[in-house]
Parts: sequence; C-alpha cells; structure tokens
Amino acid sequence: MTVRSQAYAALRICYFNGILPLWRSPLLIAAVFLTPFSFLFFLFVIAPRSLFPYGVVGGVLFTALFTGSGMLNDCAYLRLERQLQQVFVASPVRPIAYILGMALSELAFSIPASALFLAILFLVTPVGLLGLGALLGIFLLTWLMATTLGFFVSTMFSQLREIWPIGTLIFSILSILPPIFYPATVIPAEWRWVAYFAPSTYSAQLADRATGLGGAITTGIPFLNSPFFDLGMLVAVTLLFGLAAVYLARWRER
Amino acid sequence: MDGGSAAIFFGENASRAAMSVLEARGLSKTYEQGGRATVALDGVDLGIRQGQLFAFLGRNGAGKTTFIKIASTLLLPTSGELRLFGHDVVSEPRAVRPLMALVPQEGKLFYHLTPREHIREYLRVRGASAETAASRTEEILDAMGLRPFEGIIALRLSGGLQQRTLVAMVLATEAPFLFLDEPTLGMDPFARRQVWEVIRRAARRGSTVLLTTHYLDEAEQLSDELAVIEHGHVLFKGVSEALKSTVGREVRLQFSGGFLTSDLEPYGKVVRERDRLTLLTTRSSVRELTDLALGRGAEVTVGPVTLEEAFLELVGKGIEEDEA
Repeated sequence: MTVRSQAYAALRICYFNGILPLWRSPLLIAAVFLTPFSFLFFLFVIAPRSLFPYGVVGGVLFTALFTGSGMLNDCAYLRLERQLQQVFVASPVRPIAYILGMALSELAFSIPASALFLAILFLVTPVGLLGLGALLGIFLLTWLMATTLGFFVSTMFSQLREIWPIGTLIFSILSILPPIFYPATVIPAEWRWVAYFAPSTYSAQLADRATGLGGAITTGIPFLNSPFFDLGMLVAVTLLFGLAAVYLARWRER
Repeated sequence: MDGGSAAIFFGENASRAAMSVLEARGLSKTYEQGGRATVALDGVDLGIRQGQLFAFLGRNGAGKTTFIKIASTLLLPTSGELRLFGHDVVSEPRAVRPLMALVPQEGKLFYHLTPREHIREYLRVRGASAETAASRTEEILDAMGLRPFEGIIALRLSGGLQQRTLVAMVLATEAPFLFLDEPTLGMDPFARRQVWEVIRRAARRGSTVLLTTHYLDEAEQLSDELAVIEHGHVLFKGVSEALKSTVGREVRLQFSGGFLTSDLEPYGKVVRERDRLTLLTTRSSVRELTDLALGRGAEVTVGPVTLEEAFLELVGKGIEEDEA
C-alpha cells in the first residue's frame, strides 16, 4: 500500500470508529463534556471571576488531552477484549495508519466539546483570529502528543485491568494537576519547576499566551520564559511520543 | 493485493502450486511470565502448499494459536524460522502482511457497525477499490447467509452471527493466505456448513487456508491435509484417512446391552460411555461380533473409525509418552 492508501486507511478507520458511532450514539459526547465542564463549574462557583477564562482555555486543552485517555482505553479494548487490532496487524495496514485512524476517531469525539469551550472563550475574553489559529495549533499538537502516548502505553500491557488504573493515573497527571485550569503563577514560586515535568504545562503556557491571558511561569532564565521554549518542548515531546508509538509500541507481541 | 494483484499472483505457472507457501523450521516459542517458562512450540517443522486447506488439531493449549500468531506476524518466535511466500515473517513482516488475512480466536466485532459495514470497511481499509469492496460485500453477504442481518448493528446480533460476520470480513479479502483460528466457534450446524462452503470456495480460487478447530468433523470435511499438535510438538501430519489408519483398526461397533467390557476386549479397544460400549476393531471381526450381538439380543451399529477416535488415540498416546 502506498502512502496515499495508508492515509486513506486512516481516514476510513476514523469514519467507522469515530464518526459512525458518534452519529449513532450522540450521548457518547457526554463523556468528553462531563469532566471539563464539572471543573469549569467548580471554578465558576469558588474561584475569582478573573480566573474563569483560564478554566475555559483549560477546558479546550482538557478535551485534547482526554483524547489520549480515550486512545489508551479504546486501543487496549480493541486489542485485548475484541482481538480487532490483530485483524489490522495481519493486513497491509501499517501501524502508523492504524494509530492515525484511531487518533482521528478520538479527535472526532472531542470536537463538539472543544467547539463549545471555544464559543464560551469568545464570550469571556477577546481572542483575535491569530490567537484562535495559535490555539487550534496548540490543540492539535496536544491531541497528537496525548494520543501517541495513549497508543504506546496501551500496547505495553496484557490485561485490561492493569491498563485502566495506569490510564487514569497518566492522564490525571497530564490534565488535572498541571496549570491547565489555572494560571501557573498560582503555584508557589519554589514549586513551579515541578510543573515542567508535565508536557501539558507547555500546551497551557502557550494557550494562555495565545489567548492573551498571560500568567505563564517566569524564571530568572530569560530563555525559559520564551514561548519558543514552550513550543520547542511541546513539539519535542510530541515527536518523542510519536516515535515511541510507531517504533517502540508492541504492534507485534514478544 | 485485494484490488486485483491476487489474480496476478495466482496466475503464475502451475509448478508453483506444489511449492510450500508456508514453511516452518525448528519453530519454537517459550512464554516467560513471573519467572516461569511455558513451552508453547518446540521445534515445529511444517510445510503447507499453495491452495491447500490445512487443519491444525490439538487440545487447548497445545500450541495451535501460538503457531498461527507467529505465522500471521502477531507474535515473535523464540527461535526457528517461518517463511510465508518465501519471506521471513520475523524480518519481513511488511512483505507478508498484504498477502494474509486473519480470523483471530474469539475475535469480536465493532459493536456499532453492521455486518455490511464491517465487510465493506475492512476491504476499503485494506486498499480495495470502492467497486471491488461493494461487489465482494454483496457476494459474501449472500454466501454466508448474512443478508437478512446486513443492516443490524453487531451489538444486537447473536454470538454466532457475529462470528459469521468476522469470518465473512476476512474471507471477502480473497487474500492469498487465510488464517482462520476456530472460525466456526459458536455457530449452529447450518451456519457451519455455509461457512465451510465459502472456505472451500476460497481454496478453489487459490487461497491457502490454515485453520484450527476443535470440531473434528469440520477438519475431516474441510481439510486436504491436517496436523495434530500436542505440547508444542507435531505428532502427525498427513491426510485424515492416514490419521485414522494410525489407530490400527478400521471399524467401530457400538453396542447397547448384551455385553460386558471384558467380553469385547479381546477384539480391540473398548470405551464405555453411559450404557453403551464402543469397540474399535478390524473388519474381519465384524461378522462374528454382529452375529454374537444378534444372538444376545443386543443392539449394534457398525461404522468406520472416526477422526475424533483417531485423534483421541493419537493424543492419548502422546500424553502417555510425555508422562512416561
């Protein structure tokens, strides 16, 4: 199969694994809505109003990160419970087409929730076209990072029971603890460096800047305060997870 | 391969038909888990010729699925070599994957797709053109008796219909090599026969089929050749008649009443099942035994030794040898 036909295979997988189920069971979208909107509601009730836009941007990023959790669970389920990944392994479909198809399926699930968050964002803070474009770019990079990580981790386990807690742990660390729903400046200065261990921090820093919210981590090293550092790190981590998904993930069991 | 190159592949000269398209040499697999090693395959040598319908028989855990997993590039062997169409499955998976399709053991469907969508989408993902996918989907829906269920999502289908859909999806690929791991599991006898016919058709068209099954009648009906595997060793490879002849007796007699086990033991192997005695014996004893049964007012039925009996005999001996 050529590159074009592999790309086509990925789109077909997205169609029957993402779009069709969404069309037939629209309630599935609720799963993506529920957690970020609960956080947002919580922020709305207890936090100062000035922090609300951070929560909205956090919601956009959360839906991107949530695709990783979905990817991990869905890929593990299709491989271990339904034996369907095996049907694709023993076929001309390359791992990269399967990963991309599954990742696009997850993206299809996240689009309604992220669109709603974007609409709310326009209501609470002025975001220009450039800012919107940048936010979409960050969203896509974050989606790619999360889904490739999700696929890689999903292939490392042979029991669904082991995967569920691992998935919850990884994506809680990525999406709830780092400064996604709140500005990094809320973290005590001496602990801010810890946030850099979560790659989603770079997404959040970039998104807050793109939407004009500010509140990014500032250190005594000017290079680290630059958005290019955050972008470089996000791209590097995405590449790393992407390579791990394609080359290190267990497409074939050992 | 789905789009038409299969035809070119099979169009090569007839001498190729005699070649082994699958060749395993010294194939071994040991699973390591929690410091414990389990040998699943132990130096298996096997060849399957192009267009052959080959059945793999064995008890649960004998190594059948491990062999299929290695051959279909799902699993790496511990040692040995397996070549498919001349390509090493370990080092050249990209070369062999387009030539194969697999029904995995206990595979299940995408719960939200209909049988029609499963078949068509799988063909499209594999690279078949829209026309090829459409025509093959229509053809296999009819051949597999799935037409009345074509628009029902898998979630609402019975287990047997789901399995039929999975098999249809894979057979519709017309891939040169088809791996079918227990393809008729959970199907009723009518559905099984329908599936057998489609599998036979695939083999007639030129696909090579390797299937595993626990239904011995299925193996006998379908296979050109079969192998019996036990504890990772191939105990037998050949045609089903040859396996039956290994029992050393050609006839089975079943008696209801009139005899004790000890009465029949001098004539051959006796097995008691409930109130029936089954005797495997030679042709020359049949007249004497039927006369004896009629004299004692016992009911007797006469038939050939079945593959199941031959299998039980062979694997039973294998177990005894292993235990010894």
